[in-house]
Amino acid sequence: MALLQAKNVTKQFGGLLAVNDVTLTIDRGSIVSVIGPNGAGKTTFFNVLTGIYKPDKGSITFNGQSLLNLRSDQITACGITRTFQNIRLFNNMTVLENVLVGMHSRLHAPMWNIIFRTPTMRQEERQARQKARELLHFVGLDDKRDDLAKNLPYGDQRRLEIARALASEPKMVLLDEPTAGMNPHETASATRLIQRLRDDMGVTVVLIEHDMKVVMSISERISVLDYGIKIAEGTPDDIRANPRVIEAYLGKGATQESEATHQDPEITTQEAEVHTTPEVRRQKPAL
Amino acid sequence: MAQTNPQSSLQVGTWDQLKTRLNRGIWPYLLITTYSLVVTLLLFRNPSTSRNTDILFVLFLGIMLLTYKMALRPEFKLAIAALFLGIGLPYFGTLNPFYMDIATMVGIFVVLALGLNVTVGFVGLLDLGYIAFYAAGAYLWAIFSTRQAQNIFPGLAHLFPVPPSWFFIFMLLALVVGACMGLLLGSPVLRLRGDYLAIVTLGFGEVIRVLATNLDRPVNITNGAQGIRDIGRPPLFFEPWVREMGVDLSQGQLYQLFFYFLVLLVLGFMIMVVYRLSNSRIGRAWTAIREDETAAIAMGVPLVRMKLTAFAVGASFAAVMGTIFAAKQLFINPPTFDLLRSINVLSMVILGGMGSIPGVILGATLVTLLNLQLLPRLARELSVLQIPSQFDPTQYQRMLFGLLLILMTIFRPAGILPEDRRRQELEGNAIDVPAEIEQSPPQATEPDVGMKS
Amino acid sequence: MVVQATTGSGHLVGQRSIKTILLEIFGPLLQVLMFVLGSATILSLIVILFAFVLRGSRTDIDLLQGTLIILPQVIIDGMVRGFLFATIALGYTMVYGVLEFINFAHGEIFMVGAFVGAGFGLSLAQQRMLADFPPLLFVVLAILLGMIVSGVLAMLTERIAYRPLRNAPRLVPLISAIGMSLFLQDLVRMIALATGMGFNVRFQTPPLGGSLPLGQIPIGGDRFASFSIDSRALIFIVAAIIMLIGLNYLINVTRLGKAIRAVAQDRATASLMGINVNRIIALTFLIGGALGGAAGVLFGIRVGTINPYVGFLPGLKAFTAAVLGGIGNITGAMVGGIVLGFLEAFVASYLSLFTRGQFAGANYADIAAFSILILILIFRPSGLLGEATTQKV
Repeated sequence: MALLQAKNVTKQFGGLLAVNDVTLTIDRGSIVSVIGPNGAGKTTFFNVLTGIYKPDKGSITFNGQSLLNLRSDQITACGITRTFQNIRLFNNMTVLENVLVGMHSRLHAPMWNIIFRTPTMRQEERQARQKARELLHFVGLDDKRDDLAKNLPYGDQRRLEIARALASEPKMVLLDEPTAGMNPHETASATRLIQRLRDDMGVTVVLIEHDMKVVMSISERISVLDYGIKIAEGTPDDIRANPRVIEAYLGKGATQESEATHQDPEITTQEAEVHTTPEVRRQKPAL
Repeated sequence: MAQTNPQSSLQVGTWDQLKTRLNRGIWPYLLITTYSLVVTLLLFRNPSTSRNTDILFVLFLGIMLLTYKMALRPEFKLAIAALFLGIGLPYFGTLNPFYMDIATMVGIFVVLALGLNVTVGFVGLLDLGYIAFYAAGAYLWAIFSTRQAQNIFPGLAHLFPVPPSWFFIFMLLALVVGACMGLLLGSPVLRLRGDYLAIVTLGFGEVIRVLATNLDRPVNITNGAQGIRDIGRPPLFFEPWVREMGVDLSQGQLYQLFFYFLVLLVLGFMIMVVYRLSNSRIGRAWTAIREDETAAIAMGVPLVRMKLTAFAVGASFAAVMGTIFAAKQLFINPPTFDLLRSINVLSMVILGGMGSIPGVILGATLVTLLNLQLLPRLARELSVLQIPSQFDPTQYQRMLFGLLLILMTIFRPAGILPEDRRRQELEGNAIDVPAEIEQSPPQATEPDVGMKS
Repeated sequence: MVVQATTGSGHLVGQRSIKTILLEIFGPLLQVLMFVLGSATILSLIVILFAFVLRGSRTDIDLLQGTLIILPQVIIDGMVRGFLFATIALGYTMVYGVLEFINFAHGEIFMVGAFVGAGFGLSLAQQRMLADFPPLLFVVLAILLGMIVSGVLAMLTERIAYRPLRNAPRLVPLISAIGMSLFLQDLVRMIALATGMGFNVRFQTPPLGGSLPLGQIPIGGDRFASFSIDSRALIFIVAAIIMLIGLNYLINVTRLGKAIRAVAQDRATASLMGINVNRIIALTFLIGGALGGAAGVLFGIRVGTINPYVGFLPGLKAFTAAVLGGIGNITGAMVGGIVLGFLEAFVASYLSLFTRGQFAGANYADIAAFSILILILIFRPSGLLGEATTQKV
């Protein structure tokens, strides 16, 4: 059964068709990968799904509801969350607080109740903290609860992003290159975590990923984007055999592509795509 | 942000060791008690305004800082704070009204700084027109408690000025008016990026001041540059009881006490509000916006609503303080609310530490003391030394605060008492500790951090 | 950003034809002059229309005639204000272009320029040389002095207060700049008081001549409105235009200009291409500061009396002008300055005429400027000449 239906989604930046007439259906409870060469429009597609960009054309229906006129935060409340390719944690907040921010759309205590600490507010807060701890336990960060997010090692930051995304009780998580920059050991453990998202938490998972080992091992379906166009879709075996994919993507020897070679250029594209707010400029490379 | 500065640990390793040793077991209790008693006695012995009293008064206020910093039981801290703020300070105030006035002004500015800290420190929105909300509150009470209001509503002239006892209603009204102004200014400008927002709020502040200066024509609303005098004061409803208790104080002194406690009350409420908000879903959303706006939206934080909430909270308290200020001063005019005052409040926030509630309280106290007490004192001392009057330090507030802003941003951007989220988090479970009193640091955490680095 | 627009054709200077170079130098100026004419015409039509509509409401004076009598003077006033804002706005916009940072202290750099000029006049007067000094030489020397001091000062402020904060969150350098602005105000005041210049300083010049009559226009009946241009205003306009030409040459033709444009577009890449980014940023401050200083001297000559706080309001308005034109865009800053100057001059003169002096125009002109700023930022944050997306996406 379809959880998310994107029909003819198009997003244009000036003359560049970043996402061109993409139609995609994602079934409830599946693990789906979106792959494609660098600059193929994968992250832009995620940005359109999560409301950071408005699509120029097309429709997006999630769980029977149109997402077109919703803001990002409303889309999150509907049940879609994401992680970011270039990790975007709230650096000066603690690990636990990061997860609690993820819970924002599920907490409703009005200001009045907060100021006077009414019993309902206290109970909500207690439950939220309890749940945040459980999520941190789930991703294996319980002992780092009170560390600042910026002090976590790289792999843990990725885990924290996943925990933060799960905090909004999503039906679907979009993971943008969850294993980028990880060593094989970390990648294996991240892959297991992604598998558990679906198996233990019942969350539908969509991921952008370059590591073909990860993609082929856990995806049930794969969609391939190239120059903003969906050129193929199917099971891992279909994709492996698809001549267009091989030509556009695998033909370049991408199966063996190591993280080191694709890492940097992809992050540059990513920055070009997601940087919509001034705060981002903080992350501009130092001179 | 959370680390203590590394240089000091290099220089004062032994000092840190000493601090750690003195911060264990019975020592802090002994120290703080001795210190408080000695300073209080010295201060009360000769309350006349002089250089020594000035120094002693600062040391006296230092009791609060020490109490906050030392490893003491929360109940003990609470007791000291209550004794200090409830008895010690007001009693001294009856001996010397000058210091009472300073204490009250400190309270007013602490509230203002805490309000600005919500927008600047928590959410990271630089508001340079903050004083406009304060002005709005002040003019609200000034206009309606004098004949000014008759000009606006000629048909209802018999209703004005409103009876002085309405002051308390107007405080609430100011809360609402301030919040509405915050929303009104906020809703169009909050979509702007940070530095544009700063300039627009600055423009807004100037517009309000220019309006206050010029709205004596065509209808005399603000009485223009002359300002409004003879502003109404609330009745001293408690006077009979106090007299019955045999306290022999003049009406002026009673008013001073009244405003002191009123400000203290609002301040306590304000600290409770900002502390609780900062540890709630709203405060976390604010900080998340400050840290990474895009990620915050993606995590379901409604950006505009949260920013507006912050604006409204800060503005409403500023407006309430404005009404109190107007009633206390009995006279207001437009220059009281100029840009320099906004920047003054901003320096308090930057000095203390953006986002840090105890830091901002300390920053506001220091800056207000500097402005009202220390600089004039320094000026007097200098004039004795025959320094030409061109160099009167009270005349160089801009230079002083300018330097302060530059030096703080370069050398200590986190402020003198930086925000420490880790500590808050450790204490987050102790929800029931009264929030009016600043939280106790976990035993011996601070010196440890210093020694490790 | 216009500074970006020409980088595509960035071949070696020698290979470009004289025609392109001339176009790059005078093109923006033509655009500015078009905006001068356009703003003057549109605003004049608007006030005349108002005068027609409101004519019946006034019996004491003929509103239309009153409007026409002051119109030429208002237009000249608008031009002077416009060029003032334009020259100051250039400093804001250039710094914003390379650093994306509002140099809040730029108004004070401007003020320092005015004080340098005044000091020059004062010292000449003390030597009893002022009255016989050749006026033109005086103006040129004063401007040069102001440019040097203000430019160096701007560079110093960058080195001291902004460079250490270059990678800090955006608001931090802004706060430092606010601090610098306040600090400079009082520093100048302290110096002025200590040297005996006093708080309000008279800007002494050799006799610069009076008003030059420009002509008369009939305004109905046998009455004529004669209009003239104050020689100081004329000096202002001419000097401003020369500086704008010089700046266009510097930015669009020279190697330095190309380096500045490159840094503005992408600091990291520019440094990879072998451009010393710190030096370019310092030079940007130098150029912007020098322009501000020159504007300060001209402003001082024009108004006659200055004080240490005189830079704040023009600075703020010039920033408004820079935003109005599209911040980061050099032609935009000039155009924005012109438009804002005209608007302000018209509001200042006609608001009180149309409301029988109920609203004193000068004060409400400030409000008008800020309202414009707020409205632009909300509805068209990219400004008049800015591209639809100002953000570096």
